[in-house]
Amino acid sequence: MTRPMRRRAALVPIVASAGALALLLTGCGGGGGGASSAATQFTYLINSENTTIPGQLTALADDQCKAENTALPLKVETVPQTNLDQKLQLLAGQNSLPVMYAAGNAPDLTKTLDKSGNVVDFEKALTDLGAIDDIEPAAVSTIKALYGGKFNVLPYQYNIEGIWYNKQIFADAGIEVPQTWDELVAAADTISKTGVTPFAASGEQGWPLTRLVGDYLFRDLGPDALQKVADGDAKLTDPEYVKAAAAVADLGAKGYFGQGVGSIDYDTAAQQFLTGKAAMFYMGSWILDSMNNPDANKIGSDNVGFMPFPAVDGGKGSIDEYPANVGLPSTLNAKVYDDKVGAWLGCIAENYGSAALQSEGSISGFKANTEVTGVAPLTQEIQTTISKSTSSVLWFEALFSTKATTTSQTNAAQLVTGAISPEDFMKLVQADLDN
Amino acid sequence: MKHVLGDKRAIAILLGPALLVYTLVMLVPVIWSLGYTVFEGNAITGFTFVGFDNFVRAAGDPKVWDAVLFTIKYAVVVTVGQVFMGYLMSLLYVFVLKRSSGIIRTLVFFPVVLPTVAVALLFQKMFEVAPTTGIVNTVINAFGGDSVDWFGSGANAFLIIAIMDIWRSIGFYGVLLYAGIVEIPEDTLESARLDGATGWSLVLHIVIPLSLPVLLSAIIFSVNGTLKVFDSIIALTNGGPGNSTSPLTLYMFQTSFSYGEYGYGSTIALLLTIICLIVTVFIFRSSRRDLTKA
Amino acid sequence: MTSTTVSAPGAVKAPERRPRPSAGARRLRRFLVKLPLNIVVALILVITIYPLFWLVISSFKTNDEFINGDAFALPSTINWQNYVEAWTTGNMGQYLTNSALAVFPALALIIVFGTAAGFALEVMVWKGRNAVLLAFLVGIMVPGQMILLPLFTVYFQTGLSGTLWPLIITYTAIGLPLTVFMMATFFRAIPREVFEASTLDGASIIRSFFVIGFPMVRNGIFTIALVQFFFIWNDLLIALTFTNSSDLRTIQVGLLNFTGEFGATQYGPLFAAICINVFGTLVLYLVLNQRVMKGLTAGAVKG
Repeated sequence: MTRPMRRRAALVPIVASAGALALLLTGCGGGGGGASSAATQFTYLINSENTTIPGQLTALADDQCKAENTALPLKVETVPQTNLDQKLQLLAGQNSLPVMYAAGNAPDLTKTLDKSGNVVDFEKALTDLGAIDDIEPAAVSTIKALYGGKFNVLPYQYNIEGIWYNKQIFADAGIEVPQTWDELVAAADTISKTGVTPFAASGEQGWPLTRLVGDYLFRDLGPDALQKVADGDAKLTDPEYVKAAAAVADLGAKGYFGQGVGSIDYDTAAQQFLTGKAAMFYMGSWILDSMNNPDANKIGSDNVGFMPFPAVDGGKGSIDEYPANVGLPSTLNAKVYDDKVGAWLGCIAENYGSAALQSEGSISGFKANTEVTGVAPLTQEIQTTISKSTSSVLWFEALFSTKATTTSQTNAAQLVTGAISPEDFMKLVQADLDN
Repeated sequence: MKHVLGDKRAIAILLGPALLVYTLVMLVPVIWSLGYTVFEGNAITGFTFVGFDNFVRAAGDPKVWDAVLFTIKYAVVVTVGQVFMGYLMSLLYVFVLKRSSGIIRTLVFFPVVLPTVAVALLFQKMFEVAPTTGIVNTVINAFGGDSVDWFGSGANAFLIIAIMDIWRSIGFYGVLLYAGIVEIPEDTLESARLDGATGWSLVLHIVIPLSLPVLLSAIIFSVNGTLKVFDSIIALTNGGPGNSTSPLTLYMFQTSFSYGEYGYGSTIALLLTIICLIVTVFIFRSSRRDLTKA
Repeated sequence: MTSTTVSAPGAVKAPERRPRPSAGARRLRRFLVKLPLNIVVALILVITIYPLFWLVISSFKTNDEFINGDAFALPSTINWQNYVEAWTTGNMGQYLTNSALAVFPALALIIVFGTAAGFALEVMVWKGRNAVLLAFLVGIMVPGQMILLPLFTVYFQTGLSGTLWPLIITYTAIGLPLTVFMMATFFRAIPREVFEASTLDGASIIRSFFVIGFPMVRNGIFTIALVQFFFIWNDLLIALTFTNSSDLRTIQVGLLNFTGEFGATQYGPLFAAICINVFGTLVLYLVLNQRVMKGLTAGAVKG
């Protein structure tokens, strides 16, 4: 009897002082770290999954940017992509973001970082350096569309997205390249009757499926369809928006994604296409790397075609507006930006485009200022498409909060397996946009 | 005699380091974090005081309640499964395999050693439906059933998580519980047998009551792991499909670090801590009662 | 460990240590022997051992074989390239060293601090020990995600970031509650008189703890050490949060290196890396195994 009593008595002051301590600590901790001082190294924090940029920058540091590198030596640190957002948050809280860093998994985080003064305005910085012309205008417009009109990140990658198709399977089934959504569905139907899976897609990743919803919206309601949602002028639960989700869900209901789409991961989806088991594959131009690799691509790169996402009958959008993105972009830390960092920026802007294209066949938003030779034909084709395109659109979640993005991508598989209705899918995402 | 064991200096020397590290690195940060429950924002934007808004919001957030339900469901099913299967295994060791159980115990213990990533990949492949048919679906097909998309619905995905987490820890609980059963004096068992207790009734009336303390330890181990489940879910389903397999830990982590709502994330953590506390006090009382008995 | 084979029926009839089996024991045994015992045991072994085999065969496969082929089929060729890649791309050597440098000091601290605290809380007699034990028990239950932000701030401000110390300190703190609690339970099995008697000989109680108490719970210590080892060794969350340079990465973080930006995974090298990891710990486990089995058994997690 006495023991519990005594324990309780002992707990009261503990709990009381704990409460006081909590407020005290939180008050102190919230303020965060010390002032930033000039950088002594060109530190770069990037997601470890991306090996292209560090490799290219290291090469530049030994060659074209040698002087800049001597003044401010490049030092690359990596963090797994899943942990990037957490790391940025923790580092920004201590005012100690590196000189250059991958700007977060969603544009939302980049905007937050910008608001707290951690992001360089490249429009101004590059103009001051006289290097603004080194950037592809298409890349700049994509970036501005993403970040509310600000040129906030560097286009180390510039990707367009569309549907890759197997020319042989199309020929065997006697299908022309579909120009409209209805033709696409008809083509899928024909293909599925031949026993080939029409679409390879990774439901495990989610985004390859929500991309289709977004693209349908752009084609049907016009390029500003999702801007309206972001601004609150329209809701995803509006019938014309639900229609897009329903159209994609319908592909799933008809079995066009094959079995178990929810657990198919990125590699499996890619392999399905590259081994000829699937006829079409919606993916960005970063996949060119695999397409041009004979070890991975068993159907042969000359057998691969690239078509834009088809038009929707009576829709406001145009088939020429390619969905575009800059990958997981990097930016510079405004708090430590100085002449030495500027010198690096100028050198990167001038040389990165050609270097990346030449050595890795990687298309960036930096202009290729020196002539590049030996580019693979498929890469050439995409590059031409990019340079010819006049306007681009974003993707479904581009303007959403991180939370709505997560909800959208984790529920995408359920949308196409029919586990949730198109209305419910849009409702779930809209709910996260509302709060 | 008491004064020898009540030497204050000795207590301070023995307990001091542990208490100091524990207080500074666990208790203080926990309390610090709980302070954030009345703030909104994150380390980038800074924090603003919002009073009890976070609590009101949590009460009305369906995702929180989904996560609470999932956490409890998972903890109950997996704890019961782990301890029950472990107990069966330990009965097998003690009463059936007897002296030869050594090597079996060693081998069955093995899955405990595997990293979560590897176990999750194995289960994904076993329950795979496409592009190749996994073992489980092959068996279903052999019996004329249709392949099941195991990760396509929340209920199925839950089943696989539960099977996986029970499977990988059977060996551990088997050995842990074996410890308690093997120590039961043979005399006690014998006199029970003389009273006519055999087979399962012997287990039920004699073995289980006498191994209750070790059973309790096993439950502590198990609840400790299951209420805080994180790694295995991240590796196997990442909370999906949708958020149907998201426990509180995952929702809290996402809210705090992906969505940048650290204050709200701390509120969710507080909720989890309260659940844990209730369980802790419950277990603590049972274990103390056991002490006074002994 | 006996050398009797598992599936041999003789195993069941192996001579018992305990004095002559009673009629009841025989009846109980007969009841259970009715089960097709050998099948059950064989099945259990297949279920638990097969994954090891699966890991090994997967580590020799190409990506194409792994994804498109039957996941449970044998590889067409023994592809050592995966191991080379795991060792270089995965930088496994460095990561293994880091893991060892973080885990073993933490383990030592957990054991010494935890055992001493368990002793103080269970053997020593003083007011408030129940409250302190309860405080430690709370720590068992607190989710680790909660302490990340405060600790990151502290480690950063004190300049500990950039070393392995944040890992060692955090692992120690997280491992302590369970260790203290379990150690207290182990000490409960030892009568207090043992320590009282030893102090009568003039030894201080602290000396008694090291000379008498520590050895008496030796098996329990091995058990706790093993449990904590696997917990810490397999930790990802803390290692991810507190390591800010690739030079400090632990092996579990290293396993994430095989994933590409858009979700691509190099399965072959990943499995090779997992195998390197697993076989390392497996060797350790087999070496410690006797101790551990004894610890879990004789360590007597009982009242």
